[in-house]
Amino acid sequence: MSALVVDNIRKSFGDVETLKGIDISLESGEFLVLLGASGCGKSTLLNIIAGLAEPSGGDVRLDGRSLIGVHPKDRDIAMVFQSYALYPNLSVRRNIGFGLEMRKVPVAEREKAVAEAARLLQIEPLLDRRPSQLSGGQRQRVAIGRALVRHPKLFLFDEPLSNLDAKLRMEMRTELKRLHQMMKTTVVHVTHDQIEAMTLATRIAVMRNGQIEQFGTPEEIYNRPATLYVATFVGAPPMNLLDVVATGHGLLIAGSDTVIPAPASLLAGLPAGGLKLGIRPESFRAEAGGLPLTLRCDVTELTGPELILSGSIGGQRLVATLPPRIRAAVGSDVTLSLDVEALHVFDGETGKRIETV
Amino acid sequence: MSGTWITTRAWLLMLPLLIVMVAVIGWPLADTVQLSFTDARLVGTSGSYVGFDNYVRLVSGNAFGRTLFTTTFFALVVVTTEMVFGVLAALLLNQQFRGRTLLRALMILPWALPTVVNATLWRLIYNPEYGALNAALTQLGLISGYRSWLGEPGTALAALIVADCWKNFPLVALIALAALQAVPRDVVAASFVDGAGAFARFRFVTLPYLAGPLMVALVLRTIEAFKVFDIIWVMTRGGPANSTRTMSILVYQEAFSFQRAGSGASLALIVTLIITVLAVAYGTMVKKVAGSAA
Repeated sequence: MSALVVDNIRKSFGDVETLKGIDISLESGEFLVLLGASGCGKSTLLNIIAGLAEPSGGDVRLDGRSLIGVHPKDRDIAMVFQSYALYPNLSVRRNIGFGLEMRKVPVAEREKAVAEAARLLQIEPLLDRRPSQLSGGQRQRVAIGRALVRHPKLFLFDEPLSNLDAKLRMEMRTELKRLHQMMKTTVVHVTHDQIEAMTLATRIAVMRNGQIEQFGTPEEIYNRPATLYVATFVGAPPMNLLDVVATGHGLLIAGSDTVIPAPASLLAGLPAGGLKLGIRPESFRAEAGGLPLTLRCDVTELTGPELILSGSIGGQRLVATLPPRIRAAVGSDVTLSLDVEALHVFDGETGKRIETV
Repeated sequence: MSGTWITTRAWLLMLPLLIVMVAVIGWPLADTVQLSFTDARLVGTSGSYVGFDNYVRLVSGNAFGRTLFTTTFFALVVVTTEMVFGVLAALLLNQQFRGRTLLRALMILPWALPTVVNATLWRLIYNPEYGALNAALTQLGLISGYRSWLGEPGTALAALIVADCWKNFPLVALIALAALQAVPRDVVAASFVDGAGAFARFRFVTLPYLAGPLMVALVLRTIEAFKVFDIIWVMTRGGPANSTRTMSILVYQEAFSFQRAGSGASLALIVTLIITVLAVAYGTMVKKVAGSAA
């Protein structure tokens, strides 16, 4: 049975439609990440699920019950905010227990729940401090603790890691994943960070201009991006996009006479018009075998674990991430190789993926 | 050492201001202290040294005690009312509704008008022959005949309190409104999800952000209310039967009406002392409260 159903949700502010009919269906215990650039409507959608904003149309159901018109406190949800949103003059202990206090849960029971959450998040020594005496990471733990104690049906995370520095963000990401694996509660998590989406999610909804661009598992989003937007949004460095034309014996890279010798099975399904060929930087290999591709090496950057090679073919730029031991002389031609599965073909007009295999 | 140079430069830069401060505050204050130990008249004699006679006579006289009580009562009622109504008005004006901007601008008007204009306006409202208050109350059947609100000792102070509250609650409202706009929306949203009702939300979300700025408003208004002069002078001149005489009015009467410059100075210094104590006490409180929503 679907735990959370978002059914054709729309939201307009005046003439501006920020959500243009969102449909999502989640199984119980899933971790959904709403991924998109700022202004795509992901936070608005989260606020509608939370009851902090009313939709202009559509329905949200949690375990079969419609939430439209239900007060946030009666929705059986808990939320974690980007800015932590702790109550400034209450101790950590009361902050965590605030939801229970407001629901008139007996003191003994509340204390037990707070202690349990504090133990899970390793913030027991902080219980008597004020939020102002905590670091950013500690504050976010408290905010997560405040959500945990309520044992809600649904967790809503609004960019909870965005205000943390890079190292702490990685730690908290792992922490969130650990908590989710343990509690198995359904989560809706909003972020613009594709790594966060890939690592945490069981399902990702990539949003753009108030619509869902693609809804799928992280593997699907990464391996079979439905549109050019998804293809470039997920992955770092982003996927290379080359203008190509399908010819009888391969894909001709525009502006050059380089042809990627794609198999006939792939070429058969392609239209005659302009195409975009997507290749992830990490799918290039330095050793021979597979489809060869020769490019001119412009810049090499050694990051430590890998070598980022920026090059070009016929004036079109290309990035490849290779093992660090590869030697590539700047200004010279380098031949790399690719697997057929690494080729993503998109319609040049619509930006939609063309299924080739 | 560079520290010394910076200190010297700081003093140099402050010097012009210090000279002005000494000229307009320091010297008159010193002069007033000196004057308060004499029996100088406003016109004519420069007086001779009388020691603490002025202070003793003033504090033991019954005018002082009664005036101090009137002033304290006035300040207490006025400040409390202004704080309550100011916060309520701010909470209302912080809601989303049409015409909010206009209403916010209008609300500032009573405070922005010169006190004398305000006072004159209220004198018209309280006028015993054609005042709006008399007309309204009579037509509503609440009073049988026109009354002289400012002319009766029983109602004059209350009438003044209403006028002063009307004039000054916008200041509190303005400060509170600014503070309310600094309340983070996420914290408000969190309190909704946590199930806090309106009262709990005010207590745990709004008030922590309101407390610091409200303390400042409280300090300002208490000190101002304690030295109130102009609105009373225009409306009642401290009368009838001294029922609306506050400390500043008493100082004025002593020094200028009765032309006793010496004892007027002593009285002024007593008022200054009381206000200084208030200011220091409040200052300490502001420091404490200000940290609450950091």
